[in-house]
Amino acid sequence: MKKWFSKLEWSAFLTLLGVVALFSTAIAVTLIAPGYIDPSWQRPSSTYQVQMYEVSDPNVYFSTANPGRWGLQYVYHLKDGFTLMAFRESPLVRLLADPELEPYVTRLNDEELKLTTRVLLLRRPSESEEIRNLQNQLQMAWKQEHPEQEFPPHFDILELFDPEKKEAFALGETDGIVEHWIDNHFTIIGQKPTYTTSKGVIYVNNPKEYTVSESNYLGSKYWLYNENGEPIENLHELKSGKLGFLSRQELIQKGEDIYRVEGCWYCHTDQTRTLVQDTVLNGSSDFPAPPSSASEYIFQRVTFPGTRRIGPDLSRVGVKRPHRDWHISHFWSPKTESLGSIMPSFKHFFDNDPAGTLPHPYTIPNYRFEAIFHYLMTKGTRITPPTQAWWQGKDPIHTIDIIEGR
Amino acid sequence: MSQVSLYDDRPVKQMVYPAVVFLIVGMFIGIFISYNGFLKPDAFAGEYIHFGRVRPVHVSVVTLLWLLSANMGLLYFIVPRLCGVPLWSVKLATATNVIWWPTLILGAFSLPLGTNFGWEYAELPKTLMGGLLPIKILLAIAWVLFAINLFMTIVNRRHEQMYVSLWYVMGTLVWTTFTFIVGNFAVEWVPQGISRVNTSFFYVHNLVGLIFTPMGLAIAYYFIPKISGTPIHSHRLSMVGFWSIAFVYAWIGAHHMLHGPQSQWLQTTSIIFSMWLIVPVWTVVTNLLGTIKARWEMYSKSVPLRFLTMGVVFYLIVCLQGSLQALRNVNELISKTDWIIGHAHMSLLGTFTYFAMGGVYYVIPKIVQKPLWSEKMADWHFNFTLLGSVVMFVALWVGGFQQGLMWANWATGSSYAQFHENVSRIPFLATVSAMWWWWFARLIGGVFIFTGSFLFVLNVMNTIILPVENPERMQA
Repeated sequence: MKKWFSKLEWSAFLTLLGVVALFSTAIAVTLIAPGYIDPSWQRPSSTYQVQMYEVSDPNVYFSTANPGRWGLQYVYHLKDGFTLMAFRESPLVRLLADPELEPYVTRLNDEELKLTTRVLLLRRPSESEEIRNLQNQLQMAWKQEHPEQEFPPHFDILELFDPEKKEAFALGETDGIVEHWIDNHFTIIGQKPTYTTSKGVIYVNNPKEYTVSESNYLGSKYWLYNENGEPIENLHELKSGKLGFLSRQELIQKGEDIYRVEGCWYCHTDQTRTLVQDTVLNGSSDFPAPPSSASEYIFQRVTFPGTRRIGPDLSRVGVKRPHRDWHISHFWSPKTESLGSIMPSFKHFFDNDPAGTLPHPYTIPNYRFEAIFHYLMTKGTRITPPTQAWWQGKDPIHTIDIIEGR
Repeated sequence: MSQVSLYDDRPVKQMVYPAVVFLIVGMFIGIFISYNGFLKPDAFAGEYIHFGRVRPVHVSVVTLLWLLSANMGLLYFIVPRLCGVPLWSVKLATATNVIWWPTLILGAFSLPLGTNFGWEYAELPKTLMGGLLPIKILLAIAWVLFAINLFMTIVNRRHEQMYVSLWYVMGTLVWTTFTFIVGNFAVEWVPQGISRVNTSFFYVHNLVGLIFTPMGLAIAYYFIPKISGTPIHSHRLSMVGFWSIAFVYAWIGAHHMLHGPQSQWLQTTSIIFSMWLIVPVWTVVTNLLGTIKARWEMYSKSVPLRFLTMGVVFYLIVCLQGSLQALRNVNELISKTDWIIGHAHMSLLGTFTYFAMGGVYYVIPKIVQKPLWSEKMADWHFNFTLLGSVVMFVALWVGGFQQGLMWANWATGSSYAQFHENVSRIPFLATVSAMWWWWFARLIGGVFIFTGSFLFVLNVMNTIILPVENPERMQA
């Protein structure tokens, strides 16, 4: 060591010291300090965002085994004491409940939405004279109210029952992108889950028992949703076997991985910049998109703000292009779906169609498609609760006023 | 002939020979993606060869397998000669290179198989073969061994005075270690979201600013006076240039995210330091061009000096661009367009690849004790490369500027209805289609550059392999 230092003269030593000192200051100020100075770098954008990622995503499951053939199936995993559920009548939905379960039902004229974490489910009651009479009564009443309409609608009559289980599986009712949300006029009956805030909660609306039965298609056996089938016993059964369900959390993470390894981020940016052209490009026909804020990215392991925009920006794609069918056709053949696009086709997001009898040009989207789709659908849809969303003109930072120069 | 006994140049050969081959491999991939990704998208379609999977291979091959490796080889040549002692340990250097090449080759060519790490310029996978091959840790180890070797050579040096190249070498050895760890490891240690983005852009900028710049300048500062046969224009200026680089570069990574989801004060800080960048750049350029000016006639006589000189010219342009692009109103127009691609190519191709090519032309005849196989071919190499570079840069700048103007056009008017009408009239994809002929010009430029580089590799390989036909030439 002595030899080392004696030969390393003073000026060289100062050089090294100076380089390290300057470098460390720069790191302290530009890399370490900002995370502490600017809280939005680590603070969620809303309680809706947190509940979507932490409460909803891990408990919504999507079928990834051949979903293309029979349409996508998705299922809520209801947990006692955790999942909030609402059993709510609407103009075309009527609920039957025993007196014991009546407190959990929100009738048409109730002012407050009743929520509970007790695992209850809806199912279609077995055919009976009583049910037929009720259907007739409802249709007669409807005819009196709407004399101009010739045919009354068919009313959905469901009965509420207690499966007497700690967990259950229910058919999804939303679009799978934006979940049901309520921020006022609600009460929670019984135990309140830990994530409940005064600002609002995510809930599952009218969970209908998910039951399956085995079907045959060209000699192969598949499990399919069937109202008269058998209920799912546990999570293991849902995730294994022919249905191969994955949670939305798993899909979003796989989607992020796909976005990463496919190099989507070399052509697509993921940031609406604070420039008029960006808010307009990503805006709807009526409202500009709010510029991206740091808080939107905190649930991503890798963030892809991008350096080049060869394809359109994706930071608001969940609002601009919410339709699964559009994305299926587009990933299959971008050049024919978007005129002038130079995007490569992603046929490896699709499985072969064994029969070759599908009525559309693309084959069967596989789990990779579901993953990238659900990853993309997180973009722009989770900044605020849907009731205060920018696409409804309720932009918290008033982008439109800024860009119109008010 | 005493030099032969003093310096063992095997480490130089181990790094430079493969690097020049990877230069044309990387450039060929570049040509492939500019055709298959842009001019005739999906002409060759498939999971493993579409643009997103192949682009990182192009970037990794030209930046790491060619440029960084060639620069390391040149430093193995320069540092012992500036210190007047042999390399500290040739065995250690050989061991370093044995780790370096397979790790980097496997890492870079695994990318199409889906191993992309996801952060720009840090695409190499962390591990391969189910974790058995820790690519990034091996690379970090190889770099540290390389640094130890050069530092020990500097410690043992015979010449008391340290020439400016040695300062840059010491700087790059320290900075690169830091920068590499930050961009490839620390990016996963900081909180998710913009903290990671900020860390990544710190790395992206410093990969160029604190790895390739000091290495390239160490090379330019050594070879320009050597070839032109004059002392450096001003030692004082070279010190100013070095210290101001040390002061400025680490602050400006955030200018890659101007107008983005990042704190305004951080953006402003990065803009201020981007302006400061003019100081090191102008001192360095003044110094190097001042040195060449003393023997200006050498420019037409020596191909390596021509590469080094044009490298300095491009360095001036690219750094001026770099500062100006950081201004908010300029950035608004050119950011996220092809201008940026042109800018990036001018720094890594126009500047540092030119420096490295100049260095390789000088070094190869010295280490093989034979004259360059063909001076004429070297002339053509320069002509093709310069022509191709200018065509490519200009095409990307003009195209990018045009696209930026088309985007800015959406913001004309005073109401959202008008803005929206603008987007309906010129939709996004129209601004992509408008780039076709510029992309065509870029491909033409690329083919020229590739042709030149092919002559370069042919020339270098023939110099190495073929026997000297006329031994008299060596004397002349």
